[in-house]
Amino acid sequence: MARLIRTEKEVEGRYEEVWLVVEEDALDQWPSGPGDIVGRAAPRITGRQRARGEARYTADVQLPGMLHTAVLRSPHAYARVKSIDLTRALEAPGVRAAIGPDALHVLVDEAGYPGVAVAAVAADTFDEARDAVALIEVDWELLDPVLDPEDAVSRGQLLIDPRRYERGDTERGFAEADIVVEAEYRTQTVLHNSMETHQTICEWQGDRLDVYISTQFIWGVRDEVAEELGMPPDKVRVVCEFMGGGFGSKNGAGDHTFIAAELAKRAGRPVRCALTRREENQASGNRNATIQRLKAGARSDGTLVALSGEFVNAVGWSGWTATTEGPMQMLYACDNVQTVTYGAKINTPPMRAFRAPGFVEGTFGLECLLDELAAKLDLDPLEVRRLNHAHAGDDRPYSSKNLMECYKRAEPHWERRHDARARSEGPWKRGVGLASQIWYGGGGPPSYAWVRLGSDGRATVITAMQDIGTGTATAMTQIAAEELGLPLDRIDFVLGDSARGPYASISAGSSTIPSMGPAVRAAAADAGRQIIEIAAQRYDKEQRILSLKNGHVTSSDGGSWPLAEVVGLLEDAQILGKGARGPNPAGMQVLTFGVQVVEVSVDTETGEVQVDRVAAIHDVGRVINPLGASSQVEGGIIQGIGHTLSEERLLDPQTGTILTQSLDHYKLPTIADTPPEIVTELLDIPDEHLTNLGSKGLGEPPIIPTAAAIANAIRDATGADVRSLPISREEMLRALREARERAGEKVAAPAS
Amino acid sequence: MQLQRPETPEAAAAALGSGSVALAGGTELVPLLRNGLVRAETLIAIRDAVPRGIDGTRIGAGTTLAELEADPQIPQALREACSLAASPQLRTMGTIGGNLLQATRCWYWRLDFPCYLHGGERCHARQGEHREHAIFGNERCASAHPSDIAATLLALGATLRTTQRELTVPDLYRLPTDDNRKVTTIEPDELILELDVPKPEASTYLKAMDRRQFAFPMVGVAAARSGHSVRLALAGVAPIPWALGSPDDLDEATPLTGTAYKVEIARTLVRRAVEAVS
Repeated sequence: MARLIRTEKEVEGRYEEVWLVVEEDALDQWPSGPGDIVGRAAPRITGRQRARGEARYTADVQLPGMLHTAVLRSPHAYARVKSIDLTRALEAPGVRAAIGPDALHVLVDEAGYPGVAVAAVAADTFDEARDAVALIEVDWELLDPVLDPEDAVSRGQLLIDPRRYERGDTERGFAEADIVVEAEYRTQTVLHNSMETHQTICEWQGDRLDVYISTQFIWGVRDEVAEELGMPPDKVRVVCEFMGGGFGSKNGAGDHTFIAAELAKRAGRPVRCALTRREENQASGNRNATIQRLKAGARSDGTLVALSGEFVNAVGWSGWTATTEGPMQMLYACDNVQTVTYGAKINTPPMRAFRAPGFVEGTFGLECLLDELAAKLDLDPLEVRRLNHAHAGDDRPYSSKNLMECYKRAEPHWERRHDARARSEGPWKRGVGLASQIWYGGGGPPSYAWVRLGSDGRATVITAMQDIGTGTATAMTQIAAEELGLPLDRIDFVLGDSARGPYASISAGSSTIPSMGPAVRAAAADAGRQIIEIAAQRYDKEQRILSLKNGHVTSSDGGSWPLAEVVGLLEDAQILGKGARGPNPAGMQVLTFGVQVVEVSVDTETGEVQVDRVAAIHDVGRVINPLGASSQVEGGIIQGIGHTLSEERLLDPQTGTILTQSLDHYKLPTIADTPPEIVTELLDIPDEHLTNLGSKGLGEPPIIPTAAAIANAIRDATGADVRSLPISREEMLRALREARERAGEKVAAPAS
Repeated sequence: MQLQRPETPEAAAAALGSGSVALAGGTELVPLLRNGLVRAETLIAIRDAVPRGIDGTRIGAGTTLAELEADPQIPQALREACSLAASPQLRTMGTIGGNLLQATRCWYWRLDFPCYLHGGERCHARQGEHREHAIFGNERCASAHPSDIAATLLALGATLRTTQRELTVPDLYRLPTDDNRKVTTIEPDELILELDVPKPEASTYLKAMDRRQFAFPMVGVAAARSGHSVRLALAGVAPIPWALGSPDDLDEATPLTGTAYKVEIARTLVRRAVEAVS
């Protein structure tokens, strides 16, 4: 039954009271441990299609008569358009439409960052559109850009009021500490660089608009486009069948979608607007740089008595101020914590969510600081973490937390540090480091799914969600298969079209499995109940002794009938099941936890750092597909290694021009940078309070602790404190030099 | 844009110049064309016109890096330099002749800033972002030469034959000057045809980069020993491949604030390279 409830919804770590229409989640969780299909490794159901090039990504969509867009982007970090003339562009060969700032709100006449869209042209080919853009005449008034976030903070140029948090009495805490460590950490700006760049094709069908888009949120795009264009939401159809990566950068419709819609309207033709790689690296969002001035006070046994942090987020011209301070507030039991966070407004492209925004950056600072503290006290970093383990949230209990079990499982990996150090040879020093992880990942309502089952005994699961490359479609199919007692190959999974299925959650915030999975299970259970009702009548059995297993209806008194036989009499009739995501447990924090243990080698003469081994132990509730889950963990770690060692967006300090626009300058990790061994251990303990599955999300947790664990391993290997990302050769050599100076002329060696 | 496929060096050379540029593997030229840094009305595909293959010390300019990497006749340093360059896909297309003539990866130059190398007044990198830039010969232009192969050939004492002349590797390169901003001496209608690469007694190429493969050299060091003489050359440290008379010559480096770390890395790699060939 549908219920109207007043409940709490977590938004970026803040809890808001909202009205929600939810449906009861009446199903009991499955027993823990693997079922027939759930909890067992399943290869991707779309793997063959992807490998054979049959999967249709947005980049593959070709509509008859489709035009191509080129966008004029500001070459300046801060400038005003005094005048703009599209005449020559409109007269250029192949051009069908051209628009400037007066035509569309996303085209601006005040450019606050380099790469912001100013005008756009649709033409028969992309080359014609690009050539026409070069003919647009703009008279710019140049303004002085502010590029340094500290400069912006000191001028009071902020996107939000400084965000302050305090619990306890930090001043007294530090006064009572036996030891206080302080350090400044810096993280760089990094780019998502999804394999598929941001792109949309818009086609008008009378007063209806079809939007083909590479997106993480079909329904969000529908609502955003409808609102902007003043249309009823269901007049907008949004399609995304296959998706080439987003990592948080594709949560919204994006400027390119509105440009395509307007040009398509003017030209009377379908229009594609696709970012080039260079545009992608300028104007599609980023993980913003941070500066973190952190302080920790502890007793001599390692018990934390005070933590404080000043966080500067270099947000950009717009965007939101991620909770870089979150880990400091949440990861450890500490009575006295004080943080202040500044969101600096500068003339750089706006940040966008990037795989655990804020927590990746904040965990690097906090978890390095904790190891610096442990080193000063000559304590075991793992023991310091155990000692300060937070057993309960500040005012609301955890729905489940098994971080201590993660620490226990980390022990054999952590023990390897003695052997690793002993394998140091010549200039190559080896060591092991670890870091903890905390993050959200509980998902929430609403989300819906339908199941359709015909007389052939095959089921189709329908929901208008997107699979952003994470293996969602496979996991959802497993859930339906488990509930219906059907083999995987007798289930079809339909997604990716707002006109062909019910509302589904955003694929962001590690929420897809915990939001969508329970709805899919509920829909399958609804269909399953109907199958059993039919079987009970057909075979004259009581419903309570019937169940679905291995493609059969089985009776506890010994009968067994193939499903196709049971439903074979349906002919064209269909069994229709529907399911909805129920509410989250009231008054509880739903969080994910984990720890990573990393082994590194450092060439102390050239500053080269190699990641030799990563063990990732995470607590994310029930695991649906162990194979998909380990892929997620590996992907997070590899992306984390890029963030830690090689990736950095660079600006020209004078003009603000983005210098790393191509992939030879923006250095993503290659397969050679991937550690030879990544060990994934997921506790697989269902959260008994969370939904009919007990599953949390896993998209973000694996990238969170990687940078700090690498930095801590480097300290273990060399004694050097790296405090700035990326740990380039330059930064590594600087830290080694500093460690040598600290230790006199003797090269600092790890305590053994 | 037109494409021509001449079959002899003479025909190719005659077709070059005045709006025509040579296309070999295309790994460098195609991105330059796409980004508007090279303009051409006609591409002269030289695959059929330029020798390809290895015969003792002689290497056809059309030989790919992948072919050099695998051939036991090739000195160790050159094989190592090839195997550390680019990616397997690019090495399968890229030729040794084209590799010697590739342009800098300086981001200011690649983004078409009106910089010294493009004929402008000043080097934007010197006052700007320059961690990838030069520590030698960087007074006017701080760009770094990206070729692992060129530095290696410099250390190996290779000579080249073109459609017009025979020359040494040092003769091929020049630092840009006020009246000529080019970094090579090759004429627009001149093609490299063949290289002669003497075999040393021992040689090696060591490379530091920002990731473990598929990156241009931060510092590349080639060392080749013949008898008691070790010849050294560096990649990624100057606007052109840079010969080092002796390891002590690193004291003469003129690093920028952001490139001082390269000197430190070069010292280590030079020491290791000399040890490896001694």
